[in-house]
Amino acid sequence: MISPVHTLSPRTPKRWLIAISLLLVCASTLQAQDWFKTETSSGADRIRIAVADFKPFTTDPQTAPFKRTFDATLYSDLANAGIFDIVSKSLMPQSSPGAPAEINLAQWSAEPASAAMVAFGSLGVQNGRLIANGFLFDAKNAQYPQVLAKQYNEAPSEDSARQVAHRFADEIIFRLGGGIPGIAETKIFYVKMGGGNKEIWQMDYDGANQHAVTHLGTVSLSPRVSPDNSRIAFSSLGHDGFQIRMYSLLLGRMVNISNAGGTNLSPAWAPNGREIAYSSSRTGDPEIWISDVNGGLARRITSFRGPDVSPVYNPRTGAQIAWISGRTGLPQLYIMDSDGSGISRMTDGGYATSPSWSPNGQFIAFAWNRKYGPGAPGGQDIYVMEIATKRWIQLTHDGGRCDFPSWSPDGRHITYANTADGRPEHMKIWTMLADGTQKRALTSGGADMPNWSWK
Amino acid sequence: MLLHAAVFAAIFGLAYLSHRGKSWGEHDVTAGAIQATMVSSIPLPPRQRTLDDGVLTSEKPSPAPITAKEKTEVAPSPKDLAIPTKAAKPVKTADKVTPTPPKHVQPVPPQPTKAATGETAGIRIAQATMQLKNGTASMSVDDKTFGERFAYYVNVVNRKVAQNWFTQEADPRASEGKRVTLIFDINRDGIPSNIRYGARSGSASLDTSALRALQRVQDEGFGPLPQGDHITVEYSFDYRKQ
Repeated sequence: MISPVHTLSPRTPKRWLIAISLLLVCASTLQAQDWFKTETSSGADRIRIAVADFKPFTTDPQTAPFKRTFDATLYSDLANAGIFDIVSKSLMPQSSPGAPAEINLAQWSAEPASAAMVAFGSLGVQNGRLIANGFLFDAKNAQYPQVLAKQYNEAPSEDSARQVAHRFADEIIFRLGGGIPGIAETKIFYVKMGGGNKEIWQMDYDGANQHAVTHLGTVSLSPRVSPDNSRIAFSSLGHDGFQIRMYSLLLGRMVNISNAGGTNLSPAWAPNGREIAYSSSRTGDPEIWISDVNGGLARRITSFRGPDVSPVYNPRTGAQIAWISGRTGLPQLYIMDSDGSGISRMTDGGYATSPSWSPNGQFIAFAWNRKYGPGAPGGQDIYVMEIATKRWIQLTHDGGRCDFPSWSPDGRHITYANTADGRPEHMKIWTMLADGTQKRALTSGGADMPNWSWK
Repeated sequence: MLLHAAVFAAIFGLAYLSHRGKSWGEHDVTAGAIQATMVSSIPLPPRQRTLDDGVLTSEKPSPAPITAKEKTEVAPSPKDLAIPTKAAKPVKTADKVTPTPPKHVQPVPPQPTKAATGETAGIRIAQATMQLKNGTASMSVDDKTFGERFAYYVNVVNRKVAQNWFTQEADPRASEGKRVTLIFDINRDGIPSNIRYGARSGSASLDTSALRALQRVQDEGFGPLPQGDHITVEYSFDYRKQ
């Protein structure tokens, strides 16, 4: 833009005029485009990553179906991570490189893919083993492109192809996500209705591999997995009413926990895994109690008239408990220290239920009907509140009744139960990013009360 | 008779006297001359201009219009018509992607011992800059080889701090156009420590907002370092009103 001005000579006044007018025109168009902006919530952009289909390196007939599973799982893991801007498959180059020597990085970093990172590799069944070589390359760094190289060697099965993809995705997320481990290997425990009973079920975080955990033939509610993923605590209807029960995932059977009187509901694990807090009405009024994992050494930490239910520990410190109390009428969200002191009310009205404390300790997700009452146009939705400021945001809108939010261990996702028409048999488990975007259903109808594992 | 003779003599004598000393063609200023007058100067009416192509002004008769004889197209005989044949399509061949040539180790050119002055092609600095809604965040790593080898890590650090910088914490009027630089170390686990100001901006709220951005990251860190036990990072926050 400056160079035509420099080449002017005084003998050509007409060219000089043209150059000036061109400058003016350009300046005015720049001015006109100034309003055009795109923004993300934080202002910083996401990493653009391309996930190439892996290259089969053997002709074993098992390779093709495993490769399909692997490719689909890896792609959806990275797309669901919430930290990537993923390159659509239709924009990627046709080639599927299988090794670092085969990739032409300029192809991937150029339009239209414009990828900053490329994940690629090869996969095959060789000598009865499933072998996958995965690479992550920085497409913008021509000199030292390699970020990650991994080899996996597993028994060949559909499930292990998926697990290998999960592990590779977690590695990528860990490297590029800035120190937060991925959640591709985490599980979600939930309640499944069937034949008048409710059993505890388990699935992978993406909804695959759904299977039953308990077969008690009764109503079991609110499963909570221990921080080391070894046990599930839940409340179950037996001869003595609702009691806290414990299932060992390592032993694959129920383990003993002492019974108490009254109705015992909604257990919650302390982050050190040595105590559980739950609601018990053994004294007549539902209060928050804390006991060790065998049900012994129980002590009461609330003593107010009115129900106190749904405790949840601050997973970061273990020194605070959030719970729902009806001491002023409608149930409200409160927090206190884990010895029962320092009580602070968080919600100012409405009908609040099922809190879940975020892994970094900053936020509480809960279900809230802010306009509760006869004739009030309210609905139960998922909210997230910042504890320090008591400011909240609403994550679900107009999608029917939502309940039981639960944070993922990376603090970027929330799973919850939602029924569009209010009928319990249509209740599904959904997942979303913690800002309320990318909602998708994980299960079919009849699933309820999800709980995301700690790791 | 005498009268006639006297009159004649008088006329003759007067004529002689009046023209004495002068003759025709004499060199004299007041010499008489014959004046010839051209014919064109005669004030005749001007001749009318004629146009040859004008019917009214032309003196020539206008030509009669040409009447073309109607031509009849002779139908071509069917033998003359060529039977159309399908044009053979050129065979399409996909452009073969030329594989990248294997990288050979390039010989290292001898470094000049004298300092070169003048314009350079550009200096490579391990630096990443990110454009934000409300300003710019840029960082550079002291260890230059680390920045080149692990550019992705530099980008991760840059992005993570930028995401945690809440520009609304800075006073927009006092901070406009100002820059604050923080220096910190990242240890082996990716946790930033030893955070200090490299250069303050002059706006206390901007300084605090930058420090808080780092403190928010301190819990989680940036992920383990790919190499080495620590790196030192210089991070600049440029505030700009949107």
